[in-house]
Amino acid sequence: MLIFIILAPIFLLLLYFIVQPQAVSIPIKGRHVFITGGSSGIGLALAHKAISEGARVSLLARSLSKLEEAKKSLHLAYGVDVGIFAADVRDYDAVKRAIVEAGPIDVLVVNQGIFVPQELEKQDMDEVKLMIEVNLVGSFNVIKSALPLMKGRKDSRPASIALMSSQAGQVGIYGYSAYSASKFGLRGLAEALQQELISDDIHISVIYPPDTETPGLEEERKIRPKMTEMIAGSGSVLKAEEVAKKTLDGIKSGSFSISFRMEGQMLTIATAGASPQRSFLIAFFEVLFAGISRIVTLLFLSNVYRSITKSHAI
Amino acid sequence: MVILLPFLLLLPLPLLLLLLLYFIVRPRPVRIPIKNRHVFITGGSSGIGLALAHRAASQGARVSLLARSLKKLEEAKESIRLSSGSDVSIFSADVRDYDVVEKAIRDAGPIDVLVVNQGVFVPRELEKQGLDEVKFMLDVNLMGSFNVIKAALPLMKQRIDRLPASIALISSQAGQVGIYGYTAYSASKFGLRGLAEALQQEVIADDIHVSVVFPPDTDTPGFEKETEVRPELTNILAGSSSSMTADNVAKKALDGIQSGSFIVPCNFDGHMLAIATAGLSPQRSFWMAFIEVSFAGVLRLVALFFQWNWYRCIEHWHAKKKDT
Repeated sequence: MLIFIILAPIFLLLLYFIVQPQAVSIPIKGRHVFITGGSSGIGLALAHKAISEGARVSLLARSLSKLEEAKKSLHLAYGVDVGIFAADVRDYDAVKRAIVEAGPIDVLVVNQGIFVPQELEKQDMDEVKLMIEVNLVGSFNVIKSALPLMKGRKDSRPASIALMSSQAGQVGIYGYSAYSASKFGLRGLAEALQQELISDDIHISVIYPPDTETPGLEEERKIRPKMTEMIAGSGSVLKAEEVAKKTLDGIKSGSFSISFRMEGQMLTIATAGASPQRSFLIAFFEVLFAGISRIVTLLFLSNVYRSITKSHAI
Repeated sequence: MVILLPFLLLLPLPLLLLLLLYFIVRPRPVRIPIKNRHVFITGGSSGIGLALAHRAASQGARVSLLARSLKKLEEAKESIRLSSGSDVSIFSADVRDYDVVEKAIRDAGPIDVLVVNQGVFVPRELEKQGLDEVKFMLDVNLMGSFNVIKAALPLMKQRIDRLPASIALISSQAGQVGIYGYTAYSASKFGLRGLAEALQQEVIADDIHVSVVFPPDTDTPGFEKETEVRPELTNILAGSSSSMTADNVAKKALDGIQSGSFIVPCNFDGHMLAIATAGLSPQRSFWMAFIEVSFAGVLRLVALFFQWNWYRCIEHWHAKKKDT
């Protein structure tokens, strides 16, 4: 016991010196926040939160009518005007035009996403392609368009690129082969991108929400395979406002991984892998609980595979 | 004696853990035979794919190769015939074209071990990289893999031989950690893991077992091309891990596939990386599970050290550039 009490602070000190990149604070007030997939769901909730904290907000989405509704609702709530841009993230040129028109971006939130759960064996390849193209390739299009202006920004304060992933981007679940593939991909992109942009004071955050109350979720739950619901349906469903608040807090503190509630934190610790950790305190917890969380993970997987076996035996 | 007491009390803990893991690990271990079975390898005309083909053929498997260049396929076919006397079937197709892939797979016949190995890699800072190159990597490495698996699944599910089958995806250490210059490549390879974790849950009931292989830099024609264009900083950072020959990677890959391991690392660095990034991947061996749990903390610490080192390198490199 004594040994532990002596070692812990030394360990904390060690972590304090080695965590890279270092901690950073990213202001929102008075800055330009650009949100893709911003006309509904988490994106719209983020727009609300950002405006309430004094940011200038731009929204990009496909449907002009949904964007106009969003713009109106935001104007009613805060008396503030948001820029709206109708574009499909799969169309690089349209995205580039919108981003150039919107003006230099301080906080880019890459949030558009499609999810159609189905066993790969049954799923149409068009649906697989759609998810990969919108969720993953689309994110490359958005980031690539915004990079030059973000790098050349006059404002010398830290900037942020935040990618909306999902808990399905931390663990692959029955029915989510294409969706998980696209969301796991965002993490590979993010880890590499952070190393490329750190010298420009641009900070990457990857957000891992669980099921969130959005129009998208309603649609998804209707077609979700039974097995998927059995495995993934027991987690909490969060309100979009809660996700937006935690997301913005995470972006402001430059956290690389942003997660929600106890389950989410456990999932993030279990999947910390080789991702950067900027908070030496959280790094401490990651190292301390790594072993236990692998046990919990193995118990969870044991349960999953038992359920699958049982349901097929019927 | 009193000093030893706490340690004596702690001794049963690892044993208890081992026992717990023994009972809980799922899916259970499996043995996937190669001899006399049909091994279908995409990207099989060169590099790791060709090395795998040689190995599988020499172990008595019937091998099929799919790749784009008919000429390279014919050279590969000839070299395997010379070395192991075995005849491989060759199919020329681009994995991005679902219909052509489906036809090739149908012509090849029911597959027992599907090795999804095709891959392209063009390392470049995202800021400088053309989006056509990004799309290329995502299309071939990720979408192409979906095409291949989707095309092969129905026949694999209906296979007559009731032995366990395998779908093996060749990823990369860049699919375990993202590195400067690898945004698109890492995105495609991380994606394979999401695909694999979900897929395993979907096909376990059909006795099909998914493996993801994580080679380091490997001596292949593809690698030679890659190092020519690799950003200087990528070279510095990637140098942290040693490289391997294609044949050694093929050996580790085939061993991993035959033991039905979900995560197949290829060298010592790879093992450490695999434990650090074990995440929510299934582990069939209770022994490996024990190692993973025991070393998870230490390896997270090691990973943090690596990031510390990498970010310092990046900082120094940029500082040097500014001075010149």
